[in-house]
Amino acid sequence: MEIRNKDFPSPEWIRSLRQRYPIERRVDYLLTRKMERRGGPGYSPLPLTTLVDGVEALLENSLNGARFAVSEARWLSGGASKLQMAFTLDWDRPGVGREQTSLVLRMEPAESIVSTDRLREFQLIKAFEKEVPVPPVFWCDPDGEYLPYPALIYGFAEGSTKPKDSGSGVSGTGIRLSPDLRVKLGRQFVDHLATIHRHDPGDPILTAFDVPEPGTQSALWGVNWWDRVWEEDGGEEIPLLRVASNWLRRNLPTLDTPSIIHSDYRLGNFLFTEENAKITAILDWELGQIGDRHQDLAWTTSRTFSGVDDDGTFLVCGMMPERQFFDMYEEATGYTVNPKTVHWYKIYNNFWLASLLIGTGYRVARNGKTHQDVLVTWLMGVGYVALDQMRTQIEESV
Amino acid sequence: MELRAEIQIKSMIKALTDVVLPAVDPVNQLAVEQTRLVIGMLSLMAKQLPIQFQFDRDELNRLLGCAEALLADRAAEPGYANALQQLATTHQAGTRVLELSVIDPATLVQAIHRLRAATSDVVAAVPGTSDPALVGRVERTVMEAAKEQLLRDRSLLLPQGWELDPNAVPSIETLLAPLPESP
Repeated sequence: MEIRNKDFPSPEWIRSLRQRYPIERRVDYLLTRKMERRGGPGYSPLPLTTLVDGVEALLENSLNGARFAVSEARWLSGGASKLQMAFTLDWDRPGVGREQTSLVLRMEPAESIVSTDRLREFQLIKAFEKEVPVPPVFWCDPDGEYLPYPALIYGFAEGSTKPKDSGSGVSGTGIRLSPDLRVKLGRQFVDHLATIHRHDPGDPILTAFDVPEPGTQSALWGVNWWDRVWEEDGGEEIPLLRVASNWLRRNLPTLDTPSIIHSDYRLGNFLFTEENAKITAILDWELGQIGDRHQDLAWTTSRTFSGVDDDGTFLVCGMMPERQFFDMYEEATGYTVNPKTVHWYKIYNNFWLASLLIGTGYRVARNGKTHQDVLVTWLMGVGYVALDQMRTQIEESV
Repeated sequence: MELRAEIQIKSMIKALTDVVLPAVDPVNQLAVEQTRLVIGMLSLMAKQLPIQFQFDRDELNRLLGCAEALLADRAAEPGYANALQQLATTHQAGTRVLELSVIDPATLVQAIHRLRAATSDVVAAVPGTSDPALVGRVERTVMEAAKEQLLRDRSLLLPQGWELDPNAVPSIETLLAPLPESP
């Protein structure tokens, strides 16, 4: 039993973790960067003017000296992990001409509840902008060269994450759809997921991603990723997570075809316009990767995001029964759904969710690293529900 | 349970200081003053909580010393003698409580942390053995222990509203082992 000061990690320890848990190169880079910066200051409130200055510096570089003006900067809420500032850009938009475009800066805090990459997010959205509805993405500052921290500039997309008459909980859970919306959105929801999974993982724009070999490499990268995150961030040990890691490693599924996976594909993470029941933007690509389609299928069909029909039937993301969802998916993709692999990924998803919420949530709040530590702390509670779901799922598999 | 008062208070102070206070209308003096007071009160709690047990034990110890001095100085008047008798009884009970109050709650939490870590080390080491049956037994034991503990964790967190079926989770009061009877 080793006692480490995780708030000030030593270079030797960082090096040993990198060797112990082989993962995708870019994920390794992000986690290493996180650990190297951990001993630095926490997040202090930034004035909007600092962000406006950063945006202007980024645009001066990206627009090659063309005339532009940033105005109407204001804070936006939403999401548990990134800071968001809305603003208006007056500029000569290529192919459009002079325009006042409403934009959103999405920037990391000093240390986020999840260490993801603005470059990967940028590349994924660019890869899909002509195939599925995504919010327009304009510029990226992947290493915080112009802004205080790594950032991305998005355009606005039309629509809402929920119907006007529906409430919702934190992070878009608990949304209720009418029977009519369920049918109309459900079809598009499956079709867009199919398009994402059928996209060529060798797409040349995706330079920040590694493509796993067919076999167990993809699943092993995943377990190593979250084992490493738990080692780096976790406070109070959770022996059950070690049992889960053992189980996942003993039962690694074989990847048949690498797919681009979204990793957070669910109700609450897409916008739609209610009047014509059309999905207008699929959001939150930050955890996207190239891996096993079953990871998305397991996530999307999680009870956490499900709704219930009037007769008590569980509906995938409040839209359709699970069997129907899988049938439609198989028909749309031509891929098969392996229930055993879905089950493995259900355990895996709860494994990483619990590691992130309880481990990283604790670490970043303890060190005052985000702009909303109080939300990060509040969300730690979900981790215990995820742990218990994971425990039940492991029991079911024995 | 990682979601403890220490981190909750710290994150609440940060939210109030960094986000809420700067957004309070400066014209509304009552709101400004009360926001500052809440921050001050939370900061006081953050200071008090880790030493509260030590503080209370220290006070009990000195109260017992004071009682001993009072008990040594007797008088014959019935009213005063009765009061002294009451003091002697409570002094006896208080002495017993002081004798039992030897473990700081922080030491209890530390023992939990150490046992969790040592148990995790066993689980992490067991796949390296050549006995698959041992692996199964170790993991089953930990899974059973986790089932009971997670039920209590979830029950303690019920007010957050994460449970799909909150009625299926018993109240935390019914799940916790009773404390030994007070002297």
